[in-house]
Amino acid sequence: MAKTKELNVIICGVGGQGVVLMSELLGNAAVRDDIEVKGSEVLGMAQRGGSVFSNIRLGSGVYAPLTPEGKCDVLVAVEPSEALRNVHFLAKSSLVVLNSRDVKPFTVFLGKSGYPSLEEILDKLHRVTDRVITLDATQLAQEAGSVQSANVVMLGTLYGTGLMPITVETAKAVLQGRFKGKVGEINIRAFDLGYEEVQKALKGAPVK
Amino acid sequence: MKELAELTITSDAPGAKLFMLGNEAIARGAIEAGVQVVAAYPGTPSSEITNTLVSVAKETGMYAEWSVNEKVAMEVAMAASVSGLRAMAAMKHVGVNVAHDPLTTAGYMGARGGLVLVSADDPGQWSSQNEQDNRYIARQCYIPVLEPSSVQEAKDMLVDAFRLSEEFKHIFMLRSVTRLSHARSDVVLGAINKEKREGEFVKDLHSLVCLPAYSRGSRRRMIERFAKIKGAVNDLPYNQLKLNKGAKLGIIACGISYGYTLEAIRYMGLEDKVSLLKIGTPYPLPEEMVRQLLSSVSEVLVVEELEPFVEDQVKIVAEDAGIIIKIHGKDVIPIAGELSTRPVAEAISGLTGAQPPVNFAELDRIREETEPLLPFRPPTLCAGCPHRASLHAINVACRRWKREYGTECVLVSDIGCYALGVFEPLNADDIAVCMGGGFGIATGLAQVIKAPVVGHLGDSTFFHSGIPPMINAVFHQANVTLVILDNSTTGMTGFQPHPGAPAGDEPKIMPEDVARACGVKFVEVVDPFDLTKTVDALERAIRYKGPAVVITRRMCSILEQREKRRQGVAIVPYHVDPEKCDGCGVCINLLGCPAIIKDDDRVTIDSSQCPGCGLCAQVCPHKAIISGVKDGKD
Repeated sequence: MAKTKELNVIICGVGGQGVVLMSELLGNAAVRDDIEVKGSEVLGMAQRGGSVFSNIRLGSGVYAPLTPEGKCDVLVAVEPSEALRNVHFLAKSSLVVLNSRDVKPFTVFLGKSGYPSLEEILDKLHRVTDRVITLDATQLAQEAGSVQSANVVMLGTLYGTGLMPITVETAKAVLQGRFKGKVGEINIRAFDLGYEEVQKALKGAPVK
Repeated sequence: MKELAELTITSDAPGAKLFMLGNEAIARGAIEAGVQVVAAYPGTPSSEITNTLVSVAKETGMYAEWSVNEKVAMEVAMAASVSGLRAMAAMKHVGVNVAHDPLTTAGYMGARGGLVLVSADDPGQWSSQNEQDNRYIARQCYIPVLEPSSVQEAKDMLVDAFRLSEEFKHIFMLRSVTRLSHARSDVVLGAINKEKREGEFVKDLHSLVCLPAYSRGSRRRMIERFAKIKGAVNDLPYNQLKLNKGAKLGIIACGISYGYTLEAIRYMGLEDKVSLLKIGTPYPLPEEMVRQLLSSVSEVLVVEELEPFVEDQVKIVAEDAGIIIKIHGKDVIPIAGELSTRPVAEAISGLTGAQPPVNFAELDRIREETEPLLPFRPPTLCAGCPHRASLHAINVACRRWKREYGTECVLVSDIGCYALGVFEPLNADDIAVCMGGGFGIATGLAQVIKAPVVGHLGDSTFFHSGIPPMINAVFHQANVTLVILDNSTTGMTGFQPHPGAPAGDEPKIMPEDVARACGVKFVEVVDPFDLTKTVDALERAIRYKGPAVVITRRMCSILEQREKRRQGVAIVPYHVDPEKCDGCGVCINLLGCPAIIKDDDRVTIDSSQCPGCGLCAQVCPHKAIISGVKDGKD
């Protein structure tokens, strides 16, 4: 097995957004490409509509299932405020890809909780890193054919960063293995839209 | 690119790699070990082990059952071992409390077929009422413990646990934790032991009948077996000692903490400057290795999650060997919650002066700054969950009682999805302890307080441990209302079957039949989505003198939607008529359903989330919530 540099990916969102599925697709692709992979998430009670957080750590020499604080290379936030919840994993060099579409918890409607504006979220993230890419993954998923595919759009963005040691071909093969027929086609489109959006952002913007 | 599409958890493909959840790796270990009997009761973080094995039981020729509770699961596994088969029981840490009675004597009996208990502990209390460290239970029961540090090791250790169990004719424990059971990793598969044994019972009163006359001898034999195991653990590959010449600090790391320790050491460039002992068997401890480490360094740090289980033993080893050095552990490593690389790095930094490459203080500052911005996002009952309707009905009935008599009812909850009713706006939980406690505590309260007591628990919990306290309520004529929230599944842990909701065509045991057979005179079954009838039944139950049982029956919303999709039945959501809705928010303030959204005082229903239970339509004072999607949008 070739030695691969350590790459720590954190995917966060809320229960029901398909975060766990994303980490499964990622891990299966890693194994296919013969890249060592470790990770962890929290399942069960914490999952019911609550915050979901999944670690995927790629590369040789990784042992622990949890990314150390300040050591996340790419943070993929399927829900914007959840990026903030994981801010302590970021470093100056981290790249953040953020779905701008929020999911407000019912506590906000009850008047028991506030919810930050996108500007506030970006402001805090920028205190740690300048490298933040924002996109409307839900809109792109709709364009691909289903709102349900917002998580796959975000998976596409992760590959779009160019940081992944896993090939895009493998990522897509795993995706097609999981989803057949029309759903499979929608998901491939969703993946491509996410991928292209980040490529565009990286080319046009000062995101190094 | 290697073709892996065909590879599954049952593939006999030694050397091949599969991406697995920790619990799947443990299940794979059971398959490789040739386990023939698996018994379990679901509980996070253990459930996926038996979910996996139940799903491949037919294919692998294994007998896998969801038992009614952990005690029975343990007994089923013990019976299989006694009959010569390799058997495993799997449960969460507090489940082991339920199995504690047979477990405590399992060591006395020894094992014929390999016998392994998997205990999945929950440091961090992600899904549990406590943070108990089951290595202590193992020690009390003379059960050797294997504690994996990685997903790969979890699989390998389970296979070895069976080998050792048969070699020493003794029960073993594999102790997992949430962060391992729910870790994911590439795993190299091993060969599958395909041996199939016939179960055969051989009379052996001296080992199998645990009456005093026999059991005193069994205890002596157990102690002898354990001494042999103690001698053997130093040679197990899971215990590894790496001595560095001139190292002042020796670190002992156990189980999942080993990964954090290894990375913390690398983090700070101390690979050649500290000695490291990896512990895979916290009980019995590889004492020879511990002595070697203790006599080569001037200071020791023990890194382990939760209690100072290894630390205390290391201190005894040092004392016995007359080695006087400082042994650190819980003085610098947190005792509560999960560990991660950071606290380990900070502890090592404090002892060596080496600096971690990350400025943690700066991270803390940013975290503190962001904290007030974070929305409060507790886990919540799903949209359309029948428990929301049942708990709301209990609230209404109790409020009416209070209006009439002035006393506030006490609500006792239990372990399951409905425990989420503790949060705003339902606030339907005044006390909750353990499985079955919803009825047991309620029955006890009813004997000592004047206010009405309403206990509730789920259908799976009822069969698990709700029946004895219900009988107790009848036996002592407790004036208590016992509500069974029957959603026809074990919801929280992922829809496992139980006696009231079997997976196949096994006979269904109905909770109302059990209640009547146990002598409960007031037994009513209602549909919680019929709010008026449910509140009425509850009000009468609360007024009833003596134990009253109300069963609110409606299938779990997730299962019902799944079933509808399978049958091609349309799911019809509700919508809000903006003409009638004045934005009063009663629906939100009473129910807190995640499908109801409020933007600038405009209330709408997210049709992608709403499964159409209609509960909100029943509470709306303006009759503004209507079935169907509005104009095809909304």
